[in-house]
Formats: sequence, structure tokens, C-alpha cells
Amino acid sequence: MTKSVVSTVDIVAQDEAETLADVGVQIRPDEPQVRSGTYVLRDHLPLCVQTYREGLEMLPIAEALHRYAWLREHYFWKLISPDQDEVTRQIAAESEPQGYFIWVRRGTRITRPAQAGLFIAHEGLAQKLHNVIVLEDDTELHLITGCTTGRAVRSGYHLAVNEAYVGASATLTMTMVHSWGPEVIVRPRAAVAVGDYSHYVNNYVSLRPALDIQSNPRTYLNGVGATAKYMTVILGSRGSIIDTGGEVWLNGEDSGAELVHRGVCTGGKMYQRGFLVGNARCRAHVDCAGMLLDSGEDGFIESVPGLRAFHPEARMSHEASVGKVAPEQVEYLMSRGMEEHEAISMIIRGFLDADIEGLSAELDARIGEIAAMAGHGERK
Amino acid sequence: MSSSTGNILEIHDLHVEVGGKELLHGINLVIPEGQVHALMGPNGSGKTSLMMTIMGFSAYKVTRGQIIFAGRDITGLSVTERARLGIAIAQQRPPTIAGVKLRAVLDYIMAHDSVSSEEIAELVRQARVEDFLDRDINAGLSGGEIKRAELVQLLATCPRFSMMDEPESGVDLDSLALVGSLVNRLFIRDSCRPVRRRSGLIVTHTGHILKYIEADRAHIMLDGRIACSGNPHLILQTVAESGYAACVCCVVEGDGYDKVSS
Repeated sequence: MTKSVVSTVDIVAQDEAETLADVGVQIRPDEPQVRSGTYVLRDHLPLCVQTYREGLEMLPIAEALHRYAWLREHYFWKLISPDQDEVTRQIAAESEPQGYFIWVRRGTRITRPAQAGLFIAHEGLAQKLHNVIVLEDDTELHLITGCTTGRAVRSGYHLAVNEAYVGASATLTMTMVHSWGPEVIVRPRAAVAVGDYSHYVNNYVSLRPALDIQSNPRTYLNGVGATAKYMTVILGSRGSIIDTGGEVWLNGEDSGAELVHRGVCTGGKMYQRGFLVGNARCRAHVDCAGMLLDSGEDGFIESVPGLRAFHPEARMSHEASVGKVAPEQVEYLMSRGMEEHEAISMIIRGFLDADIEGLSAELDARIGEIAAMAGHGERK
Repeated sequence: MSSSTGNILEIHDLHVEVGGKELLHGINLVIPEGQVHALMGPNGSGKTSLMMTIMGFSAYKVTRGQIIFAGRDITGLSVTERARLGIAIAQQRPPTIAGVKLRAVLDYIMAHDSVSSEEIAELVRQARVEDFLDRDINAGLSGGEIKRAELVQLLATCPRFSMMDEPESGVDLDSLALVGSLVNRLFIRDSCRPVRRRSGLIVTHTGHILKYIEADRAHIMLDGRIACSGNPHLILQTVAESGYAACVCCVVEGDGYDKVSS
């Protein structure tokens, strides 16, 4: 447990704390009551690294590599190759890696979420991160990762390599919330290895999409009975290219996966992906649904669910649909007294069906904005 | 025109198009405050279109004519504005909406209308909709369940003017008693002096619902027009005996009931 000398409230500026709160990162006096640990990186500087729970360690990755030789030996660049693509090469070329290391020791089950805030405060800045998470056997962790930019920041780069290792009988829940400036380019490369009877839950929410996002984390379900669940919620907007979803490799006997993607497009290009690879007896399903409220000039939704079976007992399926908000649904709710934008909000909220911890207020606000926009479009 | 006419609804020469095709060809209809009228007629004669037009659904385009509600011209108002004036509809085939629960709609009504959570809970119990409160609205419901789900929403908003599209269709006899009692409640007395109930318009094919709710007057629609109006029992009896064929004949011969019975 890291001793907290000063409260995080004293370190993070008020307006930046508010921006971080919008993406689920709570910087406030009662933080130890709502979070089990906090890591905040501002530009290139780790602002605070604190944990409030025995068995949970959070460190800047450089310090962790220095402290634990086994980290480099067993985990660092072991799921993702530095040569994979331009993004990984750039991160590998950094003289001192930035990012966090999170380690949950055997037998530690933490119900209160830990949080990592990755914050770009300056225009045009490039964050190049390498994050590693290790959950030993019989552990549980919920990590909320909030990535965002300062209010005045329009452009920047968020490049990241994320490697996570989930031992046996363990559960890792990753909730990633992105809310970027309009010209930010976002390239996380993520891979997760999951052991016997363990579960990985991947929630990805992008509220204010950047110029260009590619986020398709890959999960290897190596263990017997391992499962993965992806929930991706994307609110697109004009001028952006958002390519999200993910892939799951079902390598363990009786492994299972469910990938759900919900995208609301108000212009811009949106790709919804979900790819399953069946290497063992397994069950898995991909479900992509898109709502195209306004295609703008050249916007679209492209839904790309895919299945590849290498094993005769791999039972996999997919479904995909794209549609708009149906006027008869909107008017049905209006006939109960709702305003048009209230009806559209309720329908979008239902469509997203997302109940993600600590996010509902910001998500509702964003859905409200989109509904107002969509309602305006209907009337023209 | 003012509400001093005592009419809750007046429809004058209403022409309505759906998808570029005219379905209603000059409807005239007057419903005095406190009256419930029945609307009958063969499939495709325009009964549902008339109700959907009164509610203001945008697929139903008014090309001519006027709808006056409580003395106010509502022809150009949105669905929301009409709902807030006290017009409501229980649709025969309401849309399903993925992820939107009946509970969410009732919560909305509770937050915006004067109905209390205790009253809603009581309505939910009486309408027997507990089991699908947390399911997607109208999804996978039987005929009777849809009626109850629609009626619980109407009862919660306490409308001044309720429209119901075939409340007895797809409802078995046991459930009909429940649906009938809920419909009856919708038109509960709203004033003592003069003794008066709430108003409405009920589409019925069989007339079964009229055992539970007394209609003041009935109208028969044929091919987008009101062909005949009169005493509900007399009209129901005629339809039961000779079907709508007799009405067609009657209209063709230019000897409508309206002339003799009104």
C-alpha cells in the first residue's frame, strides 16, 4: 500500500479534476472511500500514484521495471511485439517508458474500483504509453481508465501498448472511457491473456470522439472455462473515423465470449468490429448494432462481425444491424407526453443499454446533446 | 369556435394521406364533452387512420380540414402538445422499443404528471403488468398483455379524451373482463354537476367492449368516410345481423342512418 502523504485533491487542478471526473476518474477528498487506488498521468508527468488497499500495487512502469526484474522477463512486451506496427515501434523507441504498472497479489479481491487517468493538458502533445497489469491467481480488480484532454486542447496523440495478464480464478474488469479533443489521434494496442476459470470484462465508452480512433483489443482465452465479455459504446460525430470493437481467441476448452457493440453515428465514419477465433470447444457470440442518426456528408456505419473456427466444436455466431431511430417509436413516447428530444434520449439510452459505473450522468448529458441534434434533424 | 359549444372534439371535412395515398376523404365528427363514441367498420375503412390523425402521428398527413379539441384548433400541433392537452391513444399494435422498459415510461409519467408512485403501483397491480414492467416495452406480449400495458399508461396520465383501437382484439374472455374494467375506469366520472364522465372514442369490431363501457353514439366508417351514425345498440344489431354489406347498400342508396336517427 502506498502511503498517501498529500491528498490527490491538492495535486490536481480543479478544472482538470472536473474533466477527469467526466471520464470516471474521481479526484476528491473522499477518494479512498470510492476508489482502491489512483494513478494520474498529466502529459508526461505522473501526478499521483496511490493505493488504498493491501495487495494492490500501482507504480509508474519505469519504476516498476527497475524494481521488479521479473516484470521485464515475463510480462513486458510479451503479449504484443514491439515490431507489430508503427505505433508499437514508436513506443518501443522511447528511452524511458511511460505508463502504469498494476499488480494484484494472489488472493486479493478488490471490489472498489482502481482508477487511472491519462490526461493531455497541452496542445499537440503526444503521450506514448506502455501499461502492464498483472492479476495473480484468485484475484479481482475493476480498473477504470479515463483518457481525456484539457478543455482547450484540440489536437494530440494518444499512443499506447496495454498488456494485461489474468491468472487463474481471477476477474479483471477494464472500463475505459475516452473523451477527446476533436483532433486527437488515438491508437491503443491492447492484448489480454486469461487463465483457467477466469473472466475478463472489457467496457469501452467513447463519449466525444476524436478525429481518429483505432481500438480493437485482443483477448486470448487460454485457460479452461475462461470467459470474455466486451461492451463497446461509441457516440460518433462528424469528421471522425472510429474503428473499435475487438477480437477474442478462444484457446481454452469450454471458453466463452460475448462481444456487444453499440454505436450511434451522427456523421463521420464508424467501424464496428468483433472477431472470434475458435481454437477449442467453445461458445461465443458477436452482436453489433448501429444507429445512424445523421450520415452528414460522407459518414457511414460499417459493421464487421467475423468468425474463424479451427475446431469442430467451436460454436460461434454473430448478428449485426444498422437502423435509425424509428419515427413511430419516437411518436409513441411523445403520445405519453414526452418532448421529442426526451423520447429520442430514452430510445438511444435503451439502445445503448449501457449501465456503466460512475458514468451515467456524463453519458446522459451526451445522449441528451445527440438527441437534441437528432430531433432537430427530423424536423428539417 | 370555443369550448362553450360543449364539444370535446370536432372534426370538419378531414382529408388525410398516408404515403401519398388519401385514406380519409372528408370526415365530419362531433363528440360532445362527456361522451364516449364507438367507431365500427370493416378492415381498411380508416378507423385506425382517424385515431392516429387525431393523435397527430406524422405519417398521417392532413391535406384538408380541421381538428378542434376543446375549442382549440389542434390540426398543426405536435403529438406531445396534443398529449399534454389530454389526448391519449391505446394503439392496437404499439411499437416495441429495444431497451426501453414499460417502467421507464411510467417513471416519466410519474415525474411529469400529478400521479403519485403509490397510485402507479396500484395501477400496475390492478392492470397485472408487474411481470413485464422490466421487459422491453410491448416486446413479446400477448394480445391481452398489450392492452393492459397500454391501458396502464393511459390510466396513469388520466387523459381528458382517450382513444382505443380494438381493445377486445386478441383478448380471451377472462382477460376481457379485466380490460373492460380498466377501460371503464378510464372514463370514470369527472364531474358531478352536470354528471359527466371523461370522453373518448373506441374502435370495436365485435362490440364486446360495449358490455363494459356504455357508448353514447356509434359511427360506421366505410372507405374513409363516416357512412352512418346513430344509437350504438341499433347499429351493432344491424351489423351483427347483416354485416357491413347492408351499410354499403344503405350508403349507396343514399339512405344513411344519420338522417333518420340524429
